[in-house]
Amino acid sequence: MSRSFRTYLLDVAVFMAIAVAMYVFFTSEVMKGNGMTIQIPPSFLQLNTIFLSIFIEAVPFVLIGVLMAGFIQVFISDEQIRRWIPKNRLAAVTMSCIVGSCFPACECGIVPIVRRLVAKGVPIYAGVGFLLTGPLINPIVIFSTYIAFGDNWNMALMRMGVGFAAAMIIALIVSLFFKKSQLKGQANQELIQESRGKSLFFFRIWDMLKHSIDEFFDMGKYLILGAFFAAFVQTYVSAQSLLQVGEGWVSSTLVMMALAFILSLCSEADAFIGASFRSMFPSTSILAFLIYGPMIDLKNTLMLASVFKKRFVFTLIILISVIVFGCVSFVNWL
Amino acid sequence: MVFHAQQAFRAVVLIAFSLFLAHIHFNGDIAKYINPKYGILSQSAAVLFFCLFFIQFFRIWGREHKHNEHFHHGCQHERHDSALKKVVSYSILLFPLITGFVLPPKTLDASIAAQKGTVLTGNAAASQEVMIGASLSDHEQVAVDRKEIGKDEYDKTLKDLNNAEIIYLKDEVFETYYSQINANPEKYRGRTVKMTGFVYKEDGFQSNQLALTRFLVTHCIADASSIGFLTELDGAAKLDQDTWLEVEGKLEVTNYEGSIMPLLKVTSWNTITEPEDPYVYPVYIKIM
Repeated sequence: MSRSFRTYLLDVAVFMAIAVAMYVFFTSEVMKGNGMTIQIPPSFLQLNTIFLSIFIEAVPFVLIGVLMAGFIQVFISDEQIRRWIPKNRLAAVTMSCIVGSCFPACECGIVPIVRRLVAKGVPIYAGVGFLLTGPLINPIVIFSTYIAFGDNWNMALMRMGVGFAAAMIIALIVSLFFKKSQLKGQANQELIQESRGKSLFFFRIWDMLKHSIDEFFDMGKYLILGAFFAAFVQTYVSAQSLLQVGEGWVSSTLVMMALAFILSLCSEADAFIGASFRSMFPSTSILAFLIYGPMIDLKNTLMLASVFKKRFVFTLIILISVIVFGCVSFVNWL
Repeated sequence: MVFHAQQAFRAVVLIAFSLFLAHIHFNGDIAKYINPKYGILSQSAAVLFFCLFFIQFFRIWGREHKHNEHFHHGCQHERHDSALKKVVSYSILLFPLITGFVLPPKTLDASIAAQKGTVLTGNAAASQEVMIGASLSDHEQVAVDRKEIGKDEYDKTLKDLNNAEIIYLKDEVFETYYSQINANPEKYRGRTVKMTGFVYKEDGFQSNQLALTRFLVTHCIADASSIGFLTELDGAAKLDQDTWLEVEGKLEVTNYEGSIMPLLKVTSWNTITEPEDPYVYPVYIKIM
């Protein structure tokens, strides 16, 4: 290392000065750009505002997700994981679903964590259990559901119970059909582990943050694409036309599930939206909306597709759709 | 020492995200994107981006062998991806930064309300009081804002609703009053209401009808739902969508497309410019 820490600090300062200069340039561009923005259709400005709002809302959770992923990468060894996960498939799935239920996450923040866990040797079915219950069942989501449905525990408990059952079934089916990790190109994974096994704590934190940055750049673009598609749909596709399709239990449930998928709402906020459909749809259709949305939606599909093999993601989406629909039908029939 | 252009680019992106988040916080635009109650989350994100930038900065210049040894994971893709793929993925990352800095945020308007299709929903709108207990997770603990009121204050708000001569739907109580009135329109029949909102019209309205509407934002504006009263007003036909009005009128009860809902018969009104804070937020009750 030929450069001292002080020269680096100087570089940082210069770099920041450039960044601030660019910032000033851009913000003054807004002033000058008033004439230009008139040519941009208002619907695109609307789209852009919704897009950025989804991005701004999600990005703190994605950052937490990539930091956790970095932490797992650097501080938890494959052997530890192997010791913790039960050999028995049912036990592993149950454990992953329970851990997911206690873990407050959102559906985009959890993808990098699951990716890292699976790369470390967590079986794919356990990863799926964690992926599904993490955003769906946690104290914040349950509480907001309780509030949204007028201080009534019914819907919140149903969401928890039926959602947990659906996640268990999906993870168990995955365990029957998928044996390998299903990750895209992850050779040489072990190498990093070996190279820095016994470093100083400071260096390990440093490594963790570097991994987090790489993880962010891997995930970030899919988050942005997903947020953009979701905003596009909200701006240009009428939910009202969808809602008119919803006559009868089957079609109204399918409509609610489709809405959950394309709206890509954060699982803490979706209960309020779900509640606003109460006058139009039976409560079991709304239950499908509340369970399906946190498990899979437009923006997290893109993120999953960047991490896992296409065939696996496709199968997973079909599986989630069928099982959630089946579970809710069963509840409706009861 | 080798200069890594890609790592330098990443550093630029990280600092730009940090600056963007700081920028919208300083100029107040943040309220056009998310519920300000959750502002602390994106502020933390800005700080985190800055820290990550600091780390990333040290990767811009690195020794070649170190590159292979320790940066394996990150560089794996870089070596195999084609140039085109790189350009595409970095354009995607730059896209929100460019539109975020250059394009002004736009307030949700009637066209979005029409897409959402849930302005007049009869008794559907749920009361959305969120109680904040001591035991709640971090997420709720960050809620320190004017939207958070104590139980006593909330009860007083409701009492005011029942006793006040004029029911004034100020922003802070809009959602509370709206859901009370909407849930039980009979109880408030004949009362005088003062409120502001924007004009929303849809097919099926008579020429003197409009919906005086606000967007209720729970977390970010993507989850906004439109709430409003069916309003009767002479001269409604001449008012365009999205015109902001301040009105005073009497509450009636009507049956619109099969659901019982309140109807506001306007006695006096005037047009106003879009308020500073066009959105309303759910009220959070703190029970300690």
